[in-house]
Amino acid sequence: MTQAAVPDIRARVGEVLLKNPVMSASGTFGYGLEFTPFYDISLLGAIIVKGLSLEPTAGNAPPRIVETSAGMLNAIGLQNIGVERFVAEVAPRLADAGAAYAANIYGRTIEEYESVARRLSGVPSLIAIELNASCPNVKEGGIAFGSTPEGLYGLTRRVRAATGKPLWVKLSPNVGDIGAVARAAEEAGADAVTLINTIVGMAVDHRKRKPVLSNVTGGLSGPAIKPVALRMVWEACRSVKIPVIGIGGIQSAEDALEFLLVGAAAVQVGTANFRNPNACVEIVEGIRNFFIREKIARVDDYRGRLVL
Amino acid sequence: MPINRPRFVHGKILHNAGGGIFYRMEVALPDRIEFAPGQFAMVSGWPGNDPLLPRPLAIFRARGARGKGTVEFVYKVAGRGTALLSGLHEGDPIAATLPLGRGFEFGGEERTYWLLGGGVGFSTVFPAAVFLEQERSEFEMFLGARTRDQLPPRDWIPGGGLPGRVHPCTDDGTAGFFGTVTDAVRDRLDRLKTPERRRLMILACGPREMLRSVSSLALPLGIPVQASLENHMACGFGVCWGCVTEVREEGKTSYRRVCKEGPVFDAREVVW
Ligand SMILES: Cc1cc2nc3c(=O)[nH]c(=O)nc-3n(C[C@H](O)[C@H](O)[C@H](O)COP(=O)(O)OP(=O)(O)OC[C@H]3O[C@@H](n4cnc5c(N)ncnc54)[C@H](O)[C@@H]3O)c2cc1C
Ligand SMILES: Cc1cc2nc3c(=O)[nH]c(=O)nc-3n(C[C@H](O)[C@H](O)[C@H](O)COP(=O)(O)O)c2cc1C
Ligand code: FES
Repeated sequence: MTQAAVPDIRARVGEVLLKNPVMSASGTFGYGLEFTPFYDISLLGAIIVKGLSLEPTAGNAPPRIVETSAGMLNAIGLQNIGVERFVAEVAPRLADAGAAYAANIYGRTIEEYESVARRLSGVPSLIAIELNASCPNVKEGGIAFGSTPEGLYGLTRRVRAATGKPLWVKLSPNVGDIGAVARAAEEAGADAVTLINTIVGMAVDHRKRKPVLSNVTGGLSGPAIKPVALRMVWEACRSVKIPVIGIGGIQSAEDALEFLLVGAAAVQVGTANFRNPNACVEIVEGIRNFFIREKIARVDDYRGRLVL
Repeated sequence: MPINRPRFVHGKILHNAGGGIFYRMEVALPDRIEFAPGQFAMVSGWPGNDPLLPRPLAIFRARGARGKGTVEFVYKVAGRGTALLSGLHEGDPIAATLPLGRGFEFGGEERTYWLLGGGVGFSTVFPAAVFLEQERSEFEMFLGARTRDQLPPRDWIPGGGLPGRVHPCTDDGTAGFFGTVTDAVRDRLDRLKTPERRRLMILACGPREMLRSVSSLALPLGIPVQASLENHMACGFGVCWGCVTEVREEGKTSYRRVCKEGPVFDAREVVW
């Protein structure tokens, strides 16, 4: 009897070795524990928790979300429980669940970013810090730092010095030259870049003559942004040597594979979790099955092998 | 195992037919579900990505035995998602995450419950009526609609047989009480003595304006109101923070998730 070869779907992001290349995207997965009724959260490559700030944050006034064609706009405004409560109450439970998890962080000032990063550095089970330099929905959500290579370089350098944890920098797509921004993060010492965050958009109610979101603009996510995300991930991969984590509109294993093919070391799944809470684990299974069918032994035999 | 905490399930439509402006859809599920009145499901299952997000619908009824269950939803066509649902047929696949949210609370003490349903809001309060009938608790229902044809079909009303128990209300006076649900509640309250008022507990679901006006009528009289809110949702299980409403607690306000801390709120806490 010949045994079907079991592919090795582990994925390496710098020094971090993930069980598989599928992570949940920040802001679409709560603090991870909310998914325990659905499945064993230790099955994921990693969980990226909701953006954490130094103090608890109230967030924006509702309405905060609106559906658009094959996508949605959100302007949550980074409502979160703050880093202290996360460290005290959530992190131990994630560790108990055997989950690999990283923290997405943001600050109103560079000093706040540094403080949050320092606070998290002492949490042994945390695998990485993802620096959110790209939230379009709060003025202080990092977008001020993340929209130019110089701003991002300055922020990343300071946070780099504040923590020994692997540092992933999440990039905004709302920039002219994504390659230049990715290079700035790399030069400042980032271990990986994550992209894309949401694309700034707007929805209008033509009868009420008003914007639908109280914040007026919001961040677009979901299948509608996938082609843009794929192009930007491809460009980033050609611009830097550090690993690139791909995000944007991934709904299926096929979508995830496309991101791997353009060079992403791993992917994150966001909006897809809303319609199908099992989306992430189904994508892990889909990738595994594809590798079995196509006799692909390991991720690196497929990743970045786009035929041009 | 019965489904009593959130699960994502695939089901098949058993039937899906209109009754007036409302549709009633029964879905076969892989197991029996247990739910509290006021809990809901996030329903999807149509092919393609447009609409992308699932739609929240109250769990209207659930039946079944081990390994085999059904769930029923009642809905009104409000836009693209519900229009799509209304076009589905017997045998079509459907997906749902359920049961979700915190439903109504029924206190231990002797109460007379008034259940208020504005528009399709009756779908949320009818399960409470079924429960109260089983418990042999006293209750009355106030059902509001713009006009006669928009009231829920009579044979859908649980325990509706008891005379004086159901108060239909229409904005145009074509059936029942001529006026809004809030007007009818005010009218009925005026005719109650204080001890009878003290026993009252209001459970309400409907347009925000109805919930607001009923609360501002009942709360000053010391009548507790549990209001089920219908905010737009993306996930329905507390992970996106998209559905929040402002609440006041100990003088401070904050945003709570309608899908997780609600959809049923103590009306005193809601910043209307
Ligand atoms: C807990 C809960 C239980 C519910 N139970 C039921 C039920 O049992 N039966 C039932 O019929 N309905 C119920 N609803 C309401 C139901 O979910 C909506 O009617 C449905 O989602 C509409 O979807 P649609 O695609 O048909 O309409 P859509 O196309 O989504 O829009 C309907 C209307 O809402 C407007 N709208 C869209 N987005 C926003 C926004 N962000 N802010 C403000 N307005 C917006 C649109 O412009 C349009 O006028 C419930 C809602 C909740 C939250
Ligand atoms: C409701 C919502 C909240 C989000 N919150 C955050 C956040 O706190 N921090 C962050 O870096 N990205 C946040 N994002 C962006 C996602 O992590 C992701 O980059 C984006 O949604 C694109 O992926 P998707 O199309 O798979 O959703 C949020 C997205 C959504 C939809
Ligand atoms: S709908 Fe996502 S948190 Fe309520």
